Amino acid sequence: MKIFQVALGILAAIGGFVDIGDLVFNVSAGATFGYQLLWVVVIGVVGITVYSEMCGRVAAVSGKAVFDAVRERVGFKAGLGALVSSQVVNLMTLTAEIGGVAICLQLLSGLPYRWLIVLAGAALVVVVWVTAFEWIERIFGYGGLCLLVFAVAAVKLHPPWGAVGHGFVPHMHTQSPLLYAYFAVGLLGAAMTPYEVYFYSSGGVEERWGPKDLGLNKVNAIIGYGLGGFLSFALMIVGGALFLGQGVEPEFLGTIALGAEVPLGQIGLLLALVGILFAVSGAAIDTLFSGAYNLAQFLGWEWGRYRHPRGAPRFTVTWLVLLVLALGVVLTGVDPVQLTEYAVIFSAVALPLTYIPILLVANDRTYMREYTNGRIANVLGVLYLVVIMVIALTAIPLMILTNVGQN
Amino acid sequence: MSRSIDLGLNVLDHQLLDAEERRCGKVDDLALEGGPGEQLELVAILAGPGVWRTRAGLVGRLASWLGGGGRTRIPWEEVAHVGSHVSLRKRAQELGLGRGDDRMRPYIEKIPGADR
Repeated sequence: MKIFQVALGILAAIGGFVDIGDLVFNVSAGATFGYQLLWVVVIGVVGITVYSEMCGRVAAVSGKAVFDAVRERVGFKAGLGALVSSQVVNLMTLTAEIGGVAICLQLLSGLPYRWLIVLAGAALVVVVWVTAFEWIERIFGYGGLCLLVFAVAAVKLHPPWGAVGHGFVPHMHTQSPLLYAYFAVGLLGAAMTPYEVYFYSSGGVEERWGPKDLGLNKVNAIIGYGLGGFLSFALMIVGGALFLGQGVEPEFLGTIALGAEVPLGQIGLLLALVGILFAVSGAAIDTLFSGAYNLAQFLGWEWGRYRHPRGAPRFTVTWLVLLVLALGVVLTGVDPVQLTEYAVIFSAVALPLTYIPILLVANDRTYMREYTNGRIANVLGVLYLVVIMVIALTAIPLMILTNVGQN
Repeated sequence: MSRSIDLGLNVLDHQLLDAEERRCGKVDDLALEGGPGEQLELVAILAGPGVWRTRAGLVGRLASWLGGGGRTRIPWEEVAHVGSHVSLRKRAQELGLGRGDDRMRPYIEKIPGADR
């Protein structure tokens, strides 16, 4: 079934691309700047597509996932630095996603938030424990497609399409250029979050991809992230059409779901909440596994859901411990939406150490043979390294200068 | 092994796979022999937390301590093939590798569904 084989791409798109960070940044960007920042999403989508394709290709040809490449190319010392920073950001993101799952469950059921955190954690353990990797992809990837309701909502809200079109052309029409820059960096950071490539490349190994699957890899990367980009556009348009100039800061997940309720009523709200629930749960699993993948790959432990818990004990214990840590942090009552903003900004700093080793390995003939990067992949790869460097250097200063986007 | 390989690029920090393709550690360091003026000879792969202390200063020592400090020496003759990964001729247990996973397995096995 070919249609099922793009599940990795769909989950990477739904759980990776459109996670709690993108929901927040896209709708907030729309609420603050209207459609002006749509072009930034395009840049982010192309970037993540280029690098995911590269990672998938490296995984298919050489069996190496991202942190194998990191360890080989930058060595133990710098690699350890990359590992620690990526684990911190992963844990922050995981915490935010679990909080998001609990908020969705609360909005759907009306039960107390704290109980739902525990329920969400328990449900995640059971799902990951009993479900094969392929089915995890399908359940959360396809369930998250309910988010397409935002595309319908965007059309129903009758935005000024001229202004929307103009948003794809880079321009800046604002009194606060710093805030504009903060949102641009946040959108790029959310689009190119490193855990997407950790998960995607390890997923390729989980699915036992070989050189014959390179076409599938390309289709996965393009369709998956294309879909993610499409959903991001929809979210930003909804944010712009509904909240721009209203003084509404979409700082609750419920406000984001409101974007579908206003034009489509109860059914819109329900679909939006279910879509967010699946997307955010998928993202929780992505980040949970990414943390365990990275540690195992850096240290050379056996890893992968395909090895079953018995075959990869330390990998299994790692994800269980990460989940318990994240649950502990969510239970302290930290605001998941606020946390996700910090996570996105800090992840921007971890970007170069993730992407540079991939570019190097993808250019290594020893492993990649005839599948080494072509000219297009290299030109785009280098171009995006420059973009990533700019993001990494400006993310934290901008966060401080704009008071986390509040000014 | 007739073709030449770059030890720094193609061996150091690479994944170790045992005879059954099980992942069982990384090439944390290499042992070379040969005095001044003599030809250097690669004699062994060193793996395990004990090796990290020499590789990343204070942080490396901390990581090594956290990891228990054990180290394993695998004679170079045990290497079957150097490709994307470094493949070994014997099983991990015989070489003293992958012990962390083996130690934790009995606990994981007790949980229902651990082998699916």
